[in-house]
This record gives sequence, C-alpha cells and structure tokens, in this order.
Amino acid sequence: MIHLKKISLNQLICLVILTQVGVSVLEIPYAESRHAGYDSWMSILIGGLLAQIVIFIIYQLSKRYPDQSLQQYIFSILGKPLGWLVNLLFALYCAESSLMVVISYADVLNRWVLFQTPFFVILGITLVVATYIASSTLRSISTITQSILNMFLICFVIIFISGMGKGDWRHFLPIGTHGIGAIIKDSLPAFWAYAGYELLLYVFPFVKCKKKKHIFIAMSIANGFTTLFYLLITIIVTYNFSESQLNTITEPMVYILRKFRWPVVQSLDILFMTIWLSVTTVTVFVYMFLSARYLAFVGKKEIRNHPLLVWIIGILCFSVGIWFSDRQSIFKFSEYHNKATMIMIALVPTIILLISYVREKVARE
Amino acid sequence: MKADLLIEKNEKSLKELLFNSSDFKFSDFEIGNRSYRLFYLETMIESIKVQEHIIRPLLTNVNGTIREAVSILDYCETDQLSDATKALVEGKTVVQINGEAKFYLLGTELVKERSINIPMNERVLRGSHEALNENINTNLNMMRKLIETPDLVIKFYQVGRRSNTKVAILYLNSLVNEVVLAEFERRVANIDIDYIEAPNFLQELIEKKHFTLFPKILVTERPDRINSYLMDGKIAILTDGSPDCLILPVSFWAFFQSPDDYQIGWLIGSAIRFLRILAFILAFSLPGIYVALVTFDPRILPFEIALTLQSSMQYIALPPVLEAIAMLVILEILREATVRLPSPIAQTIGVVGGIVIGTVVVQANLISNMMVIVVALTGIASFNIPSYEMSSAARLLTYPFILMASMFGLIGLEISFLLLLTHLSRLDTMGIPYFYSWYSGETIKDTLFRFPIRSLKKRPFESMAKESTRIKTPRG
Repeated sequence: MIHLKKISLNQLICLVILTQVGVSVLEIPYAESRHAGYDSWMSILIGGLLAQIVIFIIYQLSKRYPDQSLQQYIFSILGKPLGWLVNLLFALYCAESSLMVVISYADVLNRWVLFQTPFFVILGITLVVATYIASSTLRSISTITQSILNMFLICFVIIFISGMGKGDWRHFLPIGTHGIGAIIKDSLPAFWAYAGYELLLYVFPFVKCKKKKHIFIAMSIANGFTTLFYLLITIIVTYNFSESQLNTITEPMVYILRKFRWPVVQSLDILFMTIWLSVTTVTVFVYMFLSARYLAFVGKKEIRNHPLLVWIIGILCFSVGIWFSDRQSIFKFSEYHNKATMIMIALVPTIILLISYVREKVARE
Repeated sequence: MKADLLIEKNEKSLKELLFNSSDFKFSDFEIGNRSYRLFYLETMIESIKVQEHIIRPLLTNVNGTIREAVSILDYCETDQLSDATKALVEGKTVVQINGEAKFYLLGTELVKERSINIPMNERVLRGSHEALNENINTNLNMMRKLIETPDLVIKFYQVGRRSNTKVAILYLNSLVNEVVLAEFERRVANIDIDYIEAPNFLQELIEKKHFTLFPKILVTERPDRINSYLMDGKIAILTDGSPDCLILPVSFWAFFQSPDDYQIGWLIGSAIRFLRILAFILAFSLPGIYVALVTFDPRILPFEIALTLQSSMQYIALPPVLEAIAMLVILEILREATVRLPSPIAQTIGVVGGIVIGTVVVQANLISNMMVIVVALTGIASFNIPSYEMSSAARLLTYPFILMASMFGLIGLEISFLLLLTHLSRLDTMGIPYFYSWYSGETIKDTLFRFPIRSLKKRPFESMAKESTRIKTPRG
C-alpha cells in the first residue's frame, strides 16, 4: 500500500500562514499601538523581523537533525528526564495555545454573531471540529489547510475592499514621532501575534524538498506574507481611525467591516467573522495536533494512538475553556499566554540550539 | 528478436512480449509429418474464420505451402517476434510450422455483430459516440482497437464461486504503478462471494471499509474515456455482462470532468468545469444558506431583499427548516418516480409535479415562493454534476447542512463545510489520497479549470504513473 506521509513546500507555506494568522487579525493594531500610536505599523514590521530571526534559529536547530522531530532529538541533546520535561512543556504550551485561540474566538462570536447561543455551545462545536481535524494525519491536515486558504483569500479581499473607504492618509503623519523606543516596545506584542512558525520544530523531517534550504525559503515566504497581511491591516486601520480613536477601539477591523456598505451584503462583519472561523480553526487544530504529538513522546515509549491523545486534549480544553466565559479572565489568560509564547518559541529553541552547539564542541575536543 | 526454430521457445518469447496477457492462446495440429501451431489472442479472432479458412484448407492441402493452402486475404510472413506480437494484438492468427523459423500472419479479426449504441448516461456533444455493451469480448475489442499496443495488458480473473464471472483488468504496463496494481490484484483475488453483479458489487468489495457518501471509483460507459484514463496510468475493470467500466484510482476531481471539457476550447472548457463545481457546492449548500439567512442573519441581507423575503414568508406557518426539508423530499419523490417510468408517463409526472405542486403549494400558503425557487435551483444544480453517484451524494448532504444551518446559522454552515472537507481529506483509495486542494502543484491545471492541452504536461498526481510526463515538446 502506498501511504504518503510527506507534505509539499506549498502545503508547508499554507500551514504556516494559517497557523500564524488567527484571532489577532480583529485586534491588530490595538495592542501594538499602546506606546507607538499611529506608528504601530513599524512595530508590526519589527515584530515580523523578530519572527524571522526565530525562524532562522529553529531552522538551524532542525537542520542539525534533518530526519527527526524535536520530540525525538531532544533526548540526544538534553538527555532523558529533561527531554521529557521539555516535551511535556511543549505539549502543555500547544494545548494552551489552542485553548487560548478557541476561547478568544468563541468570545468574539458570542459578542458579534451568535448572541443568544450559550458560550459553551459555541466553544463545544468549534472544539469538536478542531479535534476531529487534529486527529487526522499530518497529510490530511495539510490538505485541509490548503483548502482553507481559499477562505483566507476571500477574507483578504473583503478586508482590502472594505478598508479602502473613507479615511485620511494624514493619520500616519508625522512619521516616527513616538520615538524608536516606543516602537520597539510595541513590537513585542506584535511578535506574539506571529506565533505559529514553531510548528517547523515538528514538521521539518516531513517536508518533501530537494534542498533543506528550500524549507527556510518557504518559511520566510510564509512569514513574509503574514507580515504583509498584518501590515496591510494596520495601514487600513490607521487610515480609517485616528490615534485617539484607536485608544478606545479594541477590535478596529470589526468596525471597519461594519461601516462598509455594499449593495449585496449589508453587514460584512458577520460574513467576515463566519468565514474567518475556518481560519482560526486552523490555528486551533494545528496546535492540538502538535500538542498530541509532543504528548506522545512524554512517556518511556512513543504512544501511537494519536486520535485518542487528541480527543483527550480536546476534552481537557473544553472542560477548562467553559470557565472562561467572561472577558476579564480571557484578558488575564492572554497576558499569561504571551509570556509563555515568549519563553517557549523564542527562548527554548535558542537554548537548545546553544546546548547542541556546546555539546558538539565538547564532543569534538 | 528473431523467431526460433522451435515452437515452444517462440511461445515463451511471445508470451513475454505480451506480458503474459491471459488472452494469448495457441492450438496445435499435425498434418502429415508437419506439426502446426496457431497463436492468437482469444479475444481478437473469429473462430469460424480460423476453422474455415485456415484449418480446413490446411487439412485438405497436405503438401502445399501455407500461402497456397489458406484462403485469407490478409497474409504476410515474418521472422521477427515483434511483428508477430503486433499482429497478435491486432487480432491476427500467427501460424508456425515446427522447425521453421518463420511466422505466417493471417488476418482473422473478430467482426462485431452486435450493434454498439450511443451512451445513455454520459452523452457528449463532441467526441466519440460509442458506448460499451454487455459483451466483454466486444468491449475488450473496442479497447484494443483504441490502444493498439502490446503495452496494453489485459488480465482475466474469475470472480464469484458459483457464477465464475469473467472480470478483465486493463492497464498500460509502462505506466501503471506496480504497488497500486499489486494491491488491487490482491483485493480482487481475495474476493470470495458466490456471484457478483457489476459494477457495484465489485466496487464495494474492492474498496476498504469507509463510512462515506462519496464514490471512490469512477464508473463510465465510454471507451474513449476509459482510454484517456488508461493513458494516465490508471486501471480499468470490465465485467462480463455489464456495460459499465470501473476506473481507479481516481480523485475527487475526476467526478467533475467530462470528455466534453477537452473537446472545446480551453477557456470555455474551464468555464464549464468551474460551473459544474459551483453547481456541486450549490447543490448541497443552497437550502442551508437560505435557511441560515432567513432564520439567523437577515441582517446580512440588504434591507429591500429582506423585505421581499419577509413578505413572501408572511402567511407561512411552517418554520423555514421544515419548509426546506419538505420541499426537498417532494423533489426527491418526483425524481425517483420519473427515473423508472417510461418516458410518456414520466412527462405527465413532470407536469403534475412541477406545475401543479409547485404553484399550488405556494398559492395554498404552505410553502413560500422563495423556498420553491431555492429548492428548484438546488435540484437543477445537482443534475449538473456529470457523475450520478456524486450528484446523489450532494443531494443527501443537503439535509445535514440544513439542520446545522437551522441550529447555528452561517456558523453552522461553516462548521459543516469544514467537517465535509475533513472527511474528504481523510479518504483514500488504495492508499492514495482521494482529495487534494485544487491548486496544489501541477494539479492546478486540471481541477477547477482545464488548462490548454499543451500545458497539461504531467499526468494526474493520483494515478502515480511510472512516467509522469505526458507531453515532452508540445509543438515540436
């Protein structure tokens, strides 16, 4: 029997883009304009650059073990007990990420689209879909993601059209008055919005390519695309709202969509948020899949029953998620999540990479 | 390769050249001190011709040469094995005298007596108008006629403990993927059932157990279509007594292809292909979209349209979900009634169903007229899909979509759409993924659109052909 396990570069690009973009699209550039104001577009750019650096680190790390995933080679770098710990941490982090995305979007849906449906029902159906998808193989997941890219492109067009309404280019001027310090300070929340490329840690050995370098190029293309997309949104938002307006609007994109009148569709925001559900679902199921894969390597032996692990994680997410029905707790959770993101996707790979360099040097001497 | 003096050696090499095709046969007879052997492809010769014009004259004319004895116009001699193979494939009888390194090629092709009809279920505007019939030998003859090369391998299997139904597997030896072929042959050989009815028995017995609505094996009655799939490196299965041919492995997209797409300009072909896929999506989602818009999110619609909808639904007692389901079921009842009836009565039913039920139901305020439009559109859209199996799948999918839409509105639709996508992506035929995105790699050229012939350089991905290049120098 033929069983195709590898994914193509095309699929890798789709996976990375759609894992990166998620709920944050509606909120950009609220968090990024706390210090930088209307200069937030520069913060977004710098955030993309930071993400690119982390991608380079992850690529360097994965390249050293081209036939294995992090789950497997972590043991040869850190040894058994520490390796288990790192796997467990990554499993927790991924599960937590998918929980974060799913509750944020369920909250958005509850506030804007389905007012009367209880929070836990929205959470439940999105989690069921995501869990069902995550229990498939990596190849199926990539195929699904590739198809969802169509939806993403529709959303892209909607955003583009609706943003070109009434606005003022003078909102951008004078450029750079907030100072470089403020801009860099705000590039940190921007950097969190880019999370998603760390899936390379797992996916690297499964990508079909002629040269390993192509993986890095594909990752850069994906990250570049996301950066451009975020930049486009920031520009559209800044074009439409002045700085003082930005300070009070937490979800500017929704207002822009709602404001836009189109003869065929009256409230574009509902349509957008409905289609956007599939894009956020990608983030949810990719993280859930990764979480199950990390969890599989926590024990002494690899646990081969992938669907079972995914469903356990799904049920856990649901039972934790129903406690987050009020918005304040989501904010607190997201603050904690941002710190975790910083540590898990930037610091941990860097440390592992350094340790593996040191080990190699020691071994050589 | 040259012919050998000994018959047995020639037989062996001919067998090799024909890749052990099961229809390769021979018969011996001795006249005087000479022993003759007739080689032929069983499926390709007319036995009366052989008996009357070869064997009988040889028996009477004991001492003459073969040229003098036989009364067949199409005669030639050769000492090349490759010529003999080619002749065999064309339906000639090859005669050899033991001890003589020479072949006599005698034309004894089978002449079809049964008329070949126009395809009933897959009509086209341009292209061949032949359809398969129930005789497997005639069908194989048609296929051999279309693909005159020893590369076309025909293998026979007997399926059914009691019925011993003849099943033929066709493939091009230089293209077919051996792993798929081996797996497929294993599955066919493992079938243990007392009789089979083609094509669906085979289809269900070959497929792995999957809980799915979607057809995974393509059924066709057109030899030209089988030809084009064989040329892609796929496997075709013909069953004696059935005018349908099974083709595998195929992808989801193959069910939206029609031979017509390739017979008109690529722009129009692409437009029609796109239309079909749009019709497929409408066929399962349109009532759902309507229900979601009307019950959950009328805010999305412009005010004027919302008012029109409102006025059409004013006196209707049923909720839109029930309206939709009721109308769809009525449509299905009408369809089922007209399919099996002789055409004059079917027309009457059409009038009764379409005009009487359609208009009266609205006048009686049972169903809103908007709903009648939606359901009629859905029904017509579902008939746009070339494959009957696929269109049935689409029609059955409508109901879960309506239910989800009535519970969660557009979000429910989105979720059912994702679930459908997931289900499709998890399916496989013979280990090969059934569904892939329309734009993945080289496949972009023949899924949602049909690119110009000269740019269709690669065979489709799912056939996993040994040689994937179809066109080398398009205009050279």
